[in-house]
Amino acid sequence: MAVSETVAAPAATPTPPAPRRAPRGRNAAYWLYLLPGAVLFVLVIGAPLVGTGYLSLTKWSGVGDPTFIGLDNYRQLLHDEVFWASFRNTVAMLVAMVVAPTVLGLLLASVLFDIIGRRFKPRTAAALRAAFYLPQVLPVVVAGIVWGWILRPDGAFNSLLDAVGLGALRHDWLGDPGTALPSVMAVMIWVQIGYPVVVFMAALQRVDPELYEAAEVDGANWLHRFRAITLPQIRPETFVVALTCTIAALKVFGPIFALTRGGPENATNVPSYFAYYTFFKKLQVGYGSAISTVLTLIIVVVAVVFIWMQARSERRDRGF
Amino acid sequence: MQRIRRIVAAIALAATATTTVAACGGGDSGDDSGAKTLKLWHYESANSAMGVAWDRAIEIFKTEHPGVEVRFERKAFEQIQQNAGMIVNSSEGPDIMEYNKGNATAGLLSSQGLLTDLTAEAEKRGWADKLSTSLQTTARYSDKGVMGSGNWFGVPNYGEYVTVYYNKDLFQQNGVQVPTTLAEMTAAMDTFVAKGVTPLGMAGAEYPAGQLFYQLALAKADRQFVDNYQLYKNPVDFKADPLKYGADTFADWVKKGYVAKNSASLKAEDMGTAFIGGKTPMIVSGSWWYGRFKAEMKANWDTFLFPGNTLQAGSSGNLWVVPTSSKAKSLAYDFIDITLRPEIQDLIGNNGGVPVAGDPAKITDAKDRKLIEDFNTVSKQDGLAFYPDWPVPGYYDVLVGGFQGLINGSKSPDQVLDTIAKPYADGVKEITGK
Repeated sequence: MAVSETVAAPAATPTPPAPRRAPRGRNAAYWLYLLPGAVLFVLVIGAPLVGTGYLSLTKWSGVGDPTFIGLDNYRQLLHDEVFWASFRNTVAMLVAMVVAPTVLGLLLASVLFDIIGRRFKPRTAAALRAAFYLPQVLPVVVAGIVWGWILRPDGAFNSLLDAVGLGALRHDWLGDPGTALPSVMAVMIWVQIGYPVVVFMAALQRVDPELYEAAEVDGANWLHRFRAITLPQIRPETFVVALTCTIAALKVFGPIFALTRGGPENATNVPSYFAYYTFFKKLQVGYGSAISTVLTLIIVVVAVVFIWMQARSERRDRGF
Repeated sequence: MQRIRRIVAAIALAATATTTVAACGGGDSGDDSGAKTLKLWHYESANSAMGVAWDRAIEIFKTEHPGVEVRFERKAFEQIQQNAGMIVNSSEGPDIMEYNKGNATAGLLSSQGLLTDLTAEAEKRGWADKLSTSLQTTARYSDKGVMGSGNWFGVPNYGEYVTVYYNKDLFQQNGVQVPTTLAEMTAAMDTFVAKGVTPLGMAGAEYPAGQLFYQLALAKADRQFVDNYQLYKNPVDFKADPLKYGADTFADWVKKGYVAKNSASLKAEDMGTAFIGGKTPMIVSGSWWYGRFKAEMKANWDTFLFPGNTLQAGSSGNLWVVPTSSKAKSLAYDFIDITLRPEIQDLIGNNGGVPVAGDPAKITDAKDRKLIEDFNTVSKQDGLAFYPDWPVPGYYDVLVGGFQGLINGSKSPDQVLDTIAKPYADGVKEITGK
């Protein structure tokens, strides 16, 4: 479009200067700066990825030579109950690490910015934001171990239930297949919540305050302002949060390792822990690689879809 | 562009130089008679019985081998467990290393030709005479890497076994006698239950549940069963005794309150600290707790063998292995020889460990002596039955998952036996091809 306008312009109109091109040699020199990153990418990501893909087509115990078996590992995966159970648990992890934190994070960020930040000193909102973010600073394994203590049969949570007269609800929260997954989900919401709160609060800083003021003058209450201003204004950040949290949920490992090791009875097993177990405990390196490869492909597809949706949304916002 | 060419040339030169240097250093003639360095790795903590004894063994080795430098590195258990294949396959690995016994570990490496065959040394130096048959099981591996027969690929010098630890004070307070039969043990547990005390500490999220199940199964087992289960001599029927008896009795013990229903998520450490804290009258667990209880427990306590059993869960400790790539094999054999000497064996015993060739008379503490005498009793009657998770790789987690279901009541004994039977059969098929 821009080109045809330039061509159609009258001869008298001064032609805008063509963008300067750097001499060929200088352009080539820029590649040099990309070289370290490219080398690192090949060594740290590319080569292991190709290696894992190859190993997924073999039978190997980790010692000696792998035996090429084609797609047998993938055929076995299709009939592996634990593999499917681990993916069902991933859906629960997506709820706990993406849906709940994003929704709650949006609400919390909006309340902190729009209500607490205005009625109290900004420091109050900042302190609360930091408090929500605290679990993100803790190493996830440490958080997992501490939550393991809290949720154990003689742990703090059961003692709290006793103290408030709800002793009848005492339970082995992580030892019962019926409560283990919801307990892990609750811990993950606690771990995750600070990240969207911080990102959304930063996003709200760039929203023009006049929008809120005008809406208030027009009689919009907090909920109206949240729906009409906050949500549309911070959509790009919502995409970023949803994408990064989805990837984190798909490859979650540390909290599962620290809290339950996938148990009881695979109730909390997830693909990355299942891959680790198959790889290092069962010494089925080929099969573990097949699980990892499937997981990687899913993550790549999800990331591509998210990025495509984000780009489409941005194009729509710009009106083309 | 000229600059780029220079950089590329520099990288190529550096790569060539590195390759050349590596080639110079990588030569191994295979003749190690003149070796002046012994690289030794193990993963015992400095204050454990084995750590203390092996420090002394290193001192003796140095005295007897003047001019030989011992390069000792203490590693983490997981570090060696997960990287052993790469370690022994590398020229940078040790000349002698402590390594886990079992088919999936020492067996796997030996079947790939990565460990030195120690058979000739074991016979020449008398190691074979010092170790009972059941202790030799973990030292010898077939060409497929299955333990129990074939050549020597490792040498153990300490032992371990599952026993019953009991709190003497709690027994006395509740008027309970030390049981000598399984019937007396259940009667003792009934007494505790009647007084509102859960008698048996448990940790469903780790090994203790599987070991209790195995101890119960061993009450109905003989050596033939152990050979079938551990060494794949014959197929194992999980729906028949002794395994059925083990699962049924375990479930019964949970139902009767001997084992807490809410212990499915607890770890071995939780069980141990509850016993140390005087909250649990008994635990069924390994001799590896002994030194810790001795150091940390304030109440009076002691041990007794699981009553009525001839077979007990237990085995040799981990092994000294000599990688095929070792450049100082003769020195490595000398070191193993030192660790089996009475002086070192007694040192293990006097620090709360279980020596495989120790003399109980040389152990000064009466309780330590009893621990070793009990082990010697089991060992001499060929009663070491190994551990329930040994037969196939990854079986530990299968057993943990299965018995968690039995503790929290989400599965029946029959369902648990089904759960653990299939991975066993799959794993055995993987190893033996049958």
